[in-house]
Amino acid sequence: MKPKHLRTFGAAIFILLLLVPVFFKSTFVLHIYTLIFFYIALTAAWNIPAFGGQLSLGHASFFGIGAYTAAILYVKYGVSPWFGLLIAVGVSLLGGVILSLPLIRLRGPFFTLASIAFTEVLRMVAIDWRSMTNGSVGINIPFKPGFKNMTFTSGEPFYYLFLATAVIVVLLTYRIRNSALGFHLRAAASDDEAARALGVNTSLAQFLALMWSAGLTGVLGVFYVFYNYVMEPNTAFSLDLFSLQPALNGIIGGMGTVWGPVIGAVLMTPLGEFLRFYLSTIQQGLHYVVYGLVLILTVKFIPGGILSILEPLISRKKKDRDKPKEKEERS
Amino acid sequence: MISFAKVDLALWGQDLNRDLGRVGCLGLRKLTNQEKGAFMRKTVWIVMLCVSLVLGFSAGAFAAKTLEIGALYPISGSLALLGEESWRGAEIARMQRNKAGGVAGMEVIFVQGDANTPATSRSEAERLIEQKGVKGILGTYSSSRCMVASEVAGRKGIPYFELGAIANDITTRGYKTMWRINPTAAHFSVAQVEFIIDWLAPKLGKKPSDIKVSVAHEDSDYGSSVAASFSELAKKKGLQVVSVEPYAANSSDLSSVIFRLRKAEPDIVVAVSYAQDAILLSRQAIELKLNVPFIGTGGGHSLQSFADALGKNAEGVLNVDFTQYEVNTAFTPGLTNFLGLYKETFKANPRSGHSLANYMGANVVFDILQKTGGSLDPKAVQKAAMAMDVKVGSTATGWGVKFDENGQNIRVTPQVTQWRDGKLVTVFPKGAAVMEPILIK
Amino acid sequence: MDLYIQVLVSGLLLGGVYALISIGLNLIFGVVRIINFAHGEMVMLSMYLTFWLHHLYGMDPYLAAIVVLPVMFLFGVAFQRVVVQPILTTSATMKIFTTVGVSLLLQNLVLIFWKGDFRTVQTSYSMSAFEVFEIIVSIPRFVAFVAALLSIIILYAFLKFTFAGKALRAIVEDNAVARLMGVNVERHYLLAFGLGCAFSGLGGVLLMPFNAVYPTVGVTYTLLAFVVVVLGGLGSMSGTFLAGLFIGVVEAFGGTFVSPALKEAIYFGIFILVLLVRPQGLFGMGRGTEEVGLK
Repeated sequence: MKPKHLRTFGAAIFILLLLVPVFFKSTFVLHIYTLIFFYIALTAAWNIPAFGGQLSLGHASFFGIGAYTAAILYVKYGVSPWFGLLIAVGVSLLGGVILSLPLIRLRGPFFTLASIAFTEVLRMVAIDWRSMTNGSVGINIPFKPGFKNMTFTSGEPFYYLFLATAVIVVLLTYRIRNSALGFHLRAAASDDEAARALGVNTSLAQFLALMWSAGLTGVLGVFYVFYNYVMEPNTAFSLDLFSLQPALNGIIGGMGTVWGPVIGAVLMTPLGEFLRFYLSTIQQGLHYVVYGLVLILTVKFIPGGILSILEPLISRKKKDRDKPKEKEERS
Repeated sequence: MISFAKVDLALWGQDLNRDLGRVGCLGLRKLTNQEKGAFMRKTVWIVMLCVSLVLGFSAGAFAAKTLEIGALYPISGSLALLGEESWRGAEIARMQRNKAGGVAGMEVIFVQGDANTPATSRSEAERLIEQKGVKGILGTYSSSRCMVASEVAGRKGIPYFELGAIANDITTRGYKTMWRINPTAAHFSVAQVEFIIDWLAPKLGKKPSDIKVSVAHEDSDYGSSVAASFSELAKKKGLQVVSVEPYAANSSDLSSVIFRLRKAEPDIVVAVSYAQDAILLSRQAIELKLNVPFIGTGGGHSLQSFADALGKNAEGVLNVDFTQYEVNTAFTPGLTNFLGLYKETFKANPRSGHSLANYMGANVVFDILQKTGGSLDPKAVQKAAMAMDVKVGSTATGWGVKFDENGQNIRVTPQVTQWRDGKLVTVFPKGAAVMEPILIK
Repeated sequence: MDLYIQVLVSGLLLGGVYALISIGLNLIFGVVRIINFAHGEMVMLSMYLTFWLHHLYGMDPYLAAIVVLPVMFLFGVAFQRVVVQPILTTSATMKIFTTVGVSLLLQNLVLIFWKGDFRTVQTSYSMSAFEVFEIIVSIPRFVAFVAALLSIIILYAFLKFTFAGKALRAIVEDNAVARLMGVNVERHYLLAFGLGCAFSGLGGVLLMPFNAVYPTVGVTYTLLAFVVVVLGGLGSMSGTFLAGLFIGVVEAFGGTFVSPALKEAIYFGIFILVLLVRPQGLFGMGRGTEEVGLK
């Protein structure tokens, strides 16, 4: 297909996605779609530092910070979540600055461990700081529908909100990856020392990547808390839901690529949900067993992520046209 | 490996040289048309793939010929044990009711959901309502799961019956479709404070205002909400709350809690614990010679595994909880029957009173639905529920049924039980008691 | 004053247990360089083994070690051979996810077969303690402490004086060079994983007299063990022991004098700080700094 047709086609698909709520009245279907968009955005945001080879398992911290900031501002001080969003991003960035200290000094598994520890500290503080966070009982977003309150009577607004966020975040990661920052990051990922020798400030690049990632994750935290009505520390700072899951999506799809997170999120989100629907009532815990097996087998058989299998199929046709660019896309 | 990296790097090096001059303030730069074209192509392919995948998830809801009710409990994950135990109680009520002809002539069917975390609890509630087409949900055992799931149901106007979660906030959010049949954290505090004032104070020969109480609680929603209600009420009633010690339920060591309790020198410790921490707390209290009577608050202190773990040291540990099995059965008609059914169905003894509470609760739900003719229409349910008037001492838990305007059952009292010879025996209130409480330090 | 000494003693005893759980991880993490998220599940499995041996055959928990250690050794070897070996060449991330998968799998298989019940063993010494100058020392914890100390001495001697031990140390120091020097790295990985699991197994056995076992019991131990190992320094057995004691004491004092709910937050905070200031660990000899990478 020619680029022009492709563009039309792309637009058609986008419009189709816009129309999903019109066709499917069930809020459950909308909910699953919304979750998928949410995880696409979360994974894509998580993926930015991964361009530079840094694997964070501490993204739940930015998520939780964002969610709590907006929720506290709204429930306690009556600040509209749309304004709270700005402050939440600011506070998440602050969290990013703190986590960037180990990032700049540490490498590989040690940074990963530090990022987990960071989230755990925040989780316990959120549990213990009752006057502010209402402790483990959590903060409940009162049902006062209205655009100003980011609370809606139906599922559609959030569907569109998350769809838009997912599109924006994915486009943004694409822009980042193909900009100087992206090149610096990829250079750092492939050989940090050589990149420095070439005059690339890899620490700065990784810091910037983490800040982008932290800010976007904070935004998602805000949307999620208003979508999910209730926020309590074990959810907000959940290692499973918001640190491991995006990393997992990224890896299954293809880490450090633009489209890997999208594929990963689209596959894994419904998989997790459906396994639970169908298996957990047959036998307690069975869906986790299957999920665990899927994890082990995926890593074993497709270590490069699904994109590494799809890539040759997709881009065979236009190999001759823009060869050097293709190389970048794949790397 | 290395050589690849070098080739890549050389390529990027070129790009870098080209781009170094163009770094914007956020590190973005303008894209070439070629790059945009390649990006668009990939976008289309991938979005196509994703859409075709996602379109698979759209099976329609089917119409119910039977009476379908969602049964939402955490049956995997960290709360699996008591979540499943709770479900068992409701399940027995359902089977019994079906055998007797069902509700308004309809067979009752549970559509089960697994609320293993608060986040999945939202998904599950949506699924039960939208995909499975249930018009009412019961559950949930855990307060945090209930908060999310009932919020989903409440906003859709779907009746939600809570049979086990105790956080106070659940019934104060103003939903007219929310009913809770079991006691709340506030009820637990009332029972505890009453028991301390009426029984413990005279036993110790002290005035209530001289009694010093410490609270040790696990710091999830359950422990925190009970501890907060208790401290508030105890202070109001003139007891001295000398210390409140939160801790994480999965701690592998609680010696620091014990040291703090030793320092506070209370006359009694009110503990709010899950399973393993209840055991650990008591074991370490014995080891570290904290000679103070404990009064548990449901959860871990009423599990058989607690008595097993402590052996003879469990003797005399007090506990405020849902109705347990060693109780005056004249006060709890139907209990013996339930026990028989439980053993027959699950080939084991109940692990705690949670199943009994859910059995009683599910029966109340069925009674309400019997009156509405099997309809789950919120208005009809509301009318039938408000008309419910069951006397204390006439259900399997001994609780009555009368809802206040928030949908909270007010004829519920948790009972005080005590471990005696490896059995959890009801000692308070008088009507339900089968033994006199004893004080063992 | 008494209270301070009592808290110190409790902290040290607790630290002994932590050290015991972490030695195995140090071997695995140090040698194979894999973030094993299933480490806590190894402890959990050995606790269950101990429980069943006690429950079904009336075996004393400490005696059960005779069965549990070899079984866990074989389990570790099999784990390395079947799960880890095929993914050795992939990135650290991939390895993390494989072990996350294994951890989910084990937790839930246990839930399926043995249910979520909280199981304990009752022995005559379960809640016993002795007193020295009015300082209470819990006997099972004391046993665990001594066992941790002994294990570390044995492991130290093994690493110092046997050929296999020297090879393992060589791998910890520099994997590539060790390979060049003719060390069969893959076989030593098997050994390291087996030994690591066996020591975790010992940890599980010694925990059983005073802790309950349930499917998710391991979750707490996994992160904790990483904190201890990284603080102690990779490849340093004495470092692991001292770091274990350090964490135990920090937890005891933090829990008693700050808040029991924040005790973990305190040691995680210290962990991050130490990583920042001294990434090779408090007692590390600089081994593995290649990997830690002071940039």
